[in-house]
Amino acid sequence: MRKVSYLVLGAAFGAAAAAAMPQASAVFANGAFAAAADTYRQLNLFGDVFEKIRTDYVEKPDEGKLVEAAINGMLASLDPHSSYMDAKAFKDMQVQTKGEFGGLGIEVTQEDGVLKVVTPIDDTPAAKAGIMSGDVIIAIDGETAAGLTLDQAVDKMRGPINSAVNLKVQRGPNKDVKDIKIVRDVIKVQSVRSHVEDGDIGYIRITQFTEQTFDGLKAAMDKFRTDAPGDKLKGYIIDLRNNPGGLLDQSIEVVNAFIDKGEIVSTRGRNADETQRFNARPGGDLSHGKPVVVLINGGSASASEIVSGALQDHKRATLIGTRSFGKGSVQTIMPLGENGALRLTTARYYTPSGRSIQAKGIEPDIQVLEDVPDDLKGKDDTKGEASLKGHLKNGEDEKTGSQAYVPPDAKNDKQLIAAVDLLHGVKKAAVEPPKTDAPATAPVPATDAAKPN
Amino acid sequence: MILRKISYLAFGALVGAASVGFGAQPSLNLLAGAVRPAAAANSADQLGLFSKVFEKVRSTYVEKPDDDKLVVGAINGMLASLDPHSNYLDAKTLHDFQQTMKGEEFGGLGLEVMQEGGLVKVVSPIDETPAARAGVLSGDLIIGIDDAPVQGMTLKEAVDKMRGAANTPVRLKISRGADKQERLFTIVREIIHVQSVRSHLEAGDIGYIRITQFNQQTTDGLKKAMEKFQANGGGDKLKGYILDLRNNPGGLLNQSVQVVNAFLDHGEIVSTRGRNADQAQHYNARPGSDISQGKPLVVLINGGSASASEIVSGALQDQKRATLIGTRTFGKGSVQTVLPLGDNGAVKLTTARYYTPSGRSIQAKGITPDIKVLEDIPDDLKGKVDTKGEAALPAHLKNGDDEKGGSDAYVPPDAAKDTQLIAAVDLLHNVRKAETTTPGIAADPAKSGGVAQVKPN
Repeated sequence: MRKVSYLVLGAAFGAAAAAAMPQASAVFANGAFAAAADTYRQLNLFGDVFEKIRTDYVEKPDEGKLVEAAINGMLASLDPHSSYMDAKAFKDMQVQTKGEFGGLGIEVTQEDGVLKVVTPIDDTPAAKAGIMSGDVIIAIDGETAAGLTLDQAVDKMRGPINSAVNLKVQRGPNKDVKDIKIVRDVIKVQSVRSHVEDGDIGYIRITQFTEQTFDGLKAAMDKFRTDAPGDKLKGYIIDLRNNPGGLLDQSIEVVNAFIDKGEIVSTRGRNADETQRFNARPGGDLSHGKPVVVLINGGSASASEIVSGALQDHKRATLIGTRSFGKGSVQTIMPLGENGALRLTTARYYTPSGRSIQAKGIEPDIQVLEDVPDDLKGKDDTKGEASLKGHLKNGEDEKTGSQAYVPPDAKNDKQLIAAVDLLHGVKKAAVEPPKTDAPATAPVPATDAAKPN
Repeated sequence: MILRKISYLAFGALVGAASVGFGAQPSLNLLAGAVRPAAAANSADQLGLFSKVFEKVRSTYVEKPDDDKLVVGAINGMLASLDPHSNYLDAKTLHDFQQTMKGEEFGGLGLEVMQEGGLVKVVSPIDETPAARAGVLSGDLIIGIDDAPVQGMTLKEAVDKMRGAANTPVRLKISRGADKQERLFTIVREIIHVQSVRSHLEAGDIGYIRITQFNQQTTDGLKKAMEKFQANGGGDKLKGYILDLRNNPGGLLNQSVQVVNAFLDHGEIVSTRGRNADQAQHYNARPGSDISQGKPLVVLINGGSASASEIVSGALQDQKRATLIGTRTFGKGSVQTVLPLGDNGAVKLTTARYYTPSGRSIQAKGITPDIKVLEDIPDDLKGKVDTKGEAALPAHLKNGDDEKGGSDAYVPPDAAKDTQLIAAVDLLHNVRKAETTTPGIAADPAKSGGVAQVKPN
């Protein structure tokens, strides 16, 4: 059975994201024998209730929908990242890999029935209209979002290009309500965007990890060699801020483009013998050992955390920004024949040094806070994995999220400025903006870490 | 095999309840012989799909899952997908529910609550309980209990946290109204008597009967109250009755039928219809059960009057036995059946709609009073005390195109300011309508003629 490991935080619906090419249907024959009698009892109870509804409910129920709701309820009881995709949602996910659909460009997640923006996707109508991470969508086209499933909400937001959607969103602790009208556009999720920053730095923004990511990264790095030939290139900035994650294999390839050897990440399922180690392939490094800065914030999750964790542990990059989200689990997409697919949490992952960032996040080497405009203060923070209901636990020292604001104007982007200054070798004291707090952990000497190795 | 069913019509979960269940309940065995041949193949496929997924989760989830929780999650998800009133009651919740319906005592605050948007919403505070005295209001959202956020709790978890030993305090953080103003209440738990019926003589010659909810004590309580009126007011002195069903969320179907019967000697009270027409059941008044001696009757209703309350007001309105005063009711026109599952709790499933004697369904519409009287709402509560009604609940059963939302659910704590009660008393005292029309009173022209309706018949 082909499985696709998937690490995105929300349901991507503005994204040409994710996984799942032709997939063989699942074969389930591997139940544990010891618990067979108990399982039978459980399934009988479920069967009794199903039958009761079928015969006695006031209206003839749709049995397919009943079972989907049951599967959904069962998966939702596990953790916030396990869910069921019906045939349509699964197909949508596959269609997205082709690259185009009409939509708004928002990553959304559902928390206790509340529809929440994980992040607007760059250069989409939603981002242009000012939708922000953390916004709660309370109504779509005048209809309350309460009671909608995530799929239903996503379906309502998608539609033909040039048609309009009216969103009512609630923002911040005051729950200010705003009506935002957004015209749908073709959403092409460009996983990688890049340009030469300041004449001599290769800036790479990864919006999420899709099947296109590694190719996009390679193309970007090739282009840097043309635009800033030879020794002119001082280093790279990998911007993973507000990147909710995506495909595991792509995150591994991205890391491999910057290191030539060593472990990148390991995943562990329920049993120790299910540990899988992913190592750098020698020859995979495309970076010529030039310094790397990774930008992270409270909206950097999953696959983004694998990349930043690996590059931090290998001292291959200096991490600048604020603590990442803290999603340290791996989901596997399991197709169910004609009945859609499961997205089930099957493993935790560990950075090369063996740490799990689940519900803790990754601390940047240099913490730099953005200046948040007054009207957005306190509204831009993500709460992080640790505050999600039913999240997988990770010891006593769990930490909640952090800032997830990126100024639209690069000139005001203090994290980006700090990264450029670091790569230009500007002295740390000089680059440290007034609001910068010392990192909680002993900082890796930034210049050392960024040196070619 | 015999399956004991309990028809139930409340729309919240009651916070707190004590003692006894309904006795031994046979466990269900529905698979044997119950499968309809036509649908059997499809159902088997569906169950097969479910068991495949169940097995998959059991074998590959990152941690060893709790099988019971998985199945409860599945049952919950399935029931919640049907309508807002179908849900799963685990063994403890079922036990509490049975206590409540028996009208037993428990240590708690005295709140009817329901879940809405992941938070817990107050349907109504129960009269003369700590919650009511502390000023908790219908529509308040409970966002914190003893400093723990409610977001993420199940309804049951929240209810369990609010219950406890008498004389212990609970801190509730409440968000009120459209501007979500937050308030902190510290409330000391008391033994809550789910006293279904309270009564007194109003203005010396009117029998006032307040039914807080319909449980197994209701009919007996009503009978006692009416006997007491006979003794106190006696014979011709008694001008009539006020039946106060405001903020009464409902309860047992059979009790609502008996309450109507106490005021009506013949005719249909209510009918219920399941999925198939042949499942229609008609409930008629038993001759000789009317103990009201035909005296005039006013029923008080508001946006918090639901289910069994709407059966009573609908029947008495259709039979022209009472004048309804107040504001439009909630609009819950469905009947739930509690189906025990042996040791595994029970399923509360919507199994029927009900229809008033004239054949109307009040589902998602509510009952419009004969005389609409609005209470004067204090400035600080304006806009915060109306219920949204059934029509606003996600996935509610639909009822045509003219669904209607809720209405006010505020009852002034001081009876001297209760304009609905005052209007009822005035009507029974035959004060001329022109004089009783206060600025807050708007007669519904289509349905007025209230005085004629309350004449003895």
